[in-house]
Amino acid sequence: METPWFAKRPVSEVRPGDHGWLAYSGPEERDRVIGPFVREGLQTNEKVVYVTDAPADRLPGLGPRGGVDLDACGRSGQLRVISRRDACLNRRGEFEPAMLVDTIGREVDAAFGEGYRAVRITTDHTWLVDRPGTPDLTRVLGCEDRVGDTVSPSTMAMAICQIDRRACPPGELAAIRAAHEVLVEVNPEFDDGVLKIIRTFDPDGLRLVGELDAARHAVFAESLARVSAARRRVHLDLSRLGFIDLGGLHLLARHAIGLPADQPLVLDDLAPDVENVIEMVGWHRLPGLVRGSRTSPDTEGTHR
Amino acid sequence: MNAFTHRLLPYDGADRFLDGALPFLRDGIAAGDRVVAVCGTGQEMLLRDALGPADAEVEFREPRTWYTHPARTPADCLSAADDAAAGGRRLRILGEPAWTNRPPPEIVEWQRIEAVANVAFRETGAALMCPYSASLPAGVVAAARKTHPETVRGGHAVPNPGFVDPWSYCAQCDREPLPAPPPDADTLKLDKADLYWLRAYVSDYARRAALPEDSVQRLLVAVTEVVTNAMRHGEPPIVLRMWPEPDAAGGALVCEVADEGRWPPGAGYGLLPPRPAGTAPGSRFGLWAVRLLCATVQIRTGDAGTVVRLRMAFPAGTGPLRGNGA
Repeated sequence: METPWFAKRPVSEVRPGDHGWLAYSGPEERDRVIGPFVREGLQTNEKVVYVTDAPADRLPGLGPRGGVDLDACGRSGQLRVISRRDACLNRRGEFEPAMLVDTIGREVDAAFGEGYRAVRITTDHTWLVDRPGTPDLTRVLGCEDRVGDTVSPSTMAMAICQIDRRACPPGELAAIRAAHEVLVEVNPEFDDGVLKIIRTFDPDGLRLVGELDAARHAVFAESLARVSAARRRVHLDLSRLGFIDLGGLHLLARHAIGLPADQPLVLDDLAPDVENVIEMVGWHRLPGLVRGSRTSPDTEGTHR
Repeated sequence: MNAFTHRLLPYDGADRFLDGALPFLRDGIAAGDRVVAVCGTGQEMLLRDALGPADAEVEFREPRTWYTHPARTPADCLSAADDAAAGGRRLRILGEPAWTNRPPPEIVEWQRIEAVANVAFRETGAALMCPYSASLPAGVVAAARKTHPETVRGGHAVPNPGFVDPWSYCAQCDREPLPAPPPDADTLKLDKADLYWLRAYVSDYARRAALPEDSVQRLLVAVTEVVTNAMRHGEPPIVLRMWPEPDAAGGALVCEVADEGRWPPGAGYGLLPPRPAGTAPGSRFGLWAVRLLCATVQIRTGDAGTVVRLRMAFPAGTGPLRGNGA
């Protein structure tokens, strides 16, 4: 069952001491989390340590128009792109958790002397679980625990461990996730204190948190149109939507009517109050809307 | 397609009831219609005896469970009529609404439904026959003569000279002034465009009055819709009033939204479900859905401004709590 101590945090709210976790469902989601994580660090006098074999100009979500001069940051040492071999592989080319922990510790310590106010660390662990027949799970878990021990008490270091959820069996995914305290997600597309709109990727859709009424119809319609632009089934996670007005339901139904017949708009995890109102109006009077999964709120990554 | 019919069957005893109802049901059975009889146990036994084995072709329903709500029941019937028509059949309903034990505003709503049915069902080809017992209050029977285009005498129907155009009938209902709100009603002037705080205020009041939680949410949706309309189309000031209204049946929480505007003629009062079924609800969806969510909705619009009064019923035997610190 769900372990309840996780905090879910938009990437821009990750703070020192956070040992964060991102299980992404595709490049778009990874770009939209790791991009801001790296960029915001580089823009605010923080050091960024990225363990990857990719070149700096190919880091997720950091295109040439990202507003950051990656070359300059690399030259100054503010951006440290460290290869796996240098960061965590032993002489036989095997993953060595202790090495990764040492690497992180060294970079964090150095950042003190270099005058950075914080250090952001990220790496993608997919390659560790992606190889069939390699029982690396315990090593990964041990590594995560030690990274957590290094990062969590720190007033300076914050880390995001990435993994491609499509490459990892569900059991292992849950086990690795459990080694982290913070689930990192994309920044909300909209947040005015009453309604929050968050893009979700597994399944594709939006999560609505708060209350949707006429003052927020336009911005919601925009988000809905954006997420529906690609031909895919759109899910709305409504577990934390406390109120939707009739105009909002009308908007949903009108949008659903415009979708291909085999791609209804799926409403997941309706809060009882909202479901009650839809029942009263009648699902059959809101064509194109389909009731989706019912899982407990705050269950991450369990519906497919 | 068959022509829509909506006939009044006045009766003062079993014989006159059967004289009108039996041919109606038998015609339906013979034609392969979907035949529904909404009636009490006594009438059901009469009808079953008279129909013999053919009674298996008739769906008998209890008035209490059929006539549950003056907006939901007609909406469901309309869907049923559409479904039957889509299957090449006709929906045929013999139905006598439960008139007793209803608060007066709700009786008016059921009478209004009788009138609006003439418009709502016109395209469906449904056949509706409404028995009215002579033992009902005189006003109820008199109103039925205005809302049914035809009256049944024995086996045939004759035009009803008292029939009134449905919208005129509704306008007549709406000329009746609403009782004034009680002097101690909770009053709030709405001058903020954001309705978030309004909902906090309304739900607080409703919970203190002990309105059940699912009703609180429906009220919030209904009030939000009415206030949104008032802000969009009405004239300030917009004033919200709330008060408890105890009565014999359990009572209600009343929530009224008043503004200085006047609705243009033909604005529609949300009495007709959005059409056609199976498409996204149209612009009249809002007020119609408000009717689904509330026990009753009363609207008055004129030179003195517009008032929309929403009533949320308490379950029988509970009733609103007093002393809301209003």
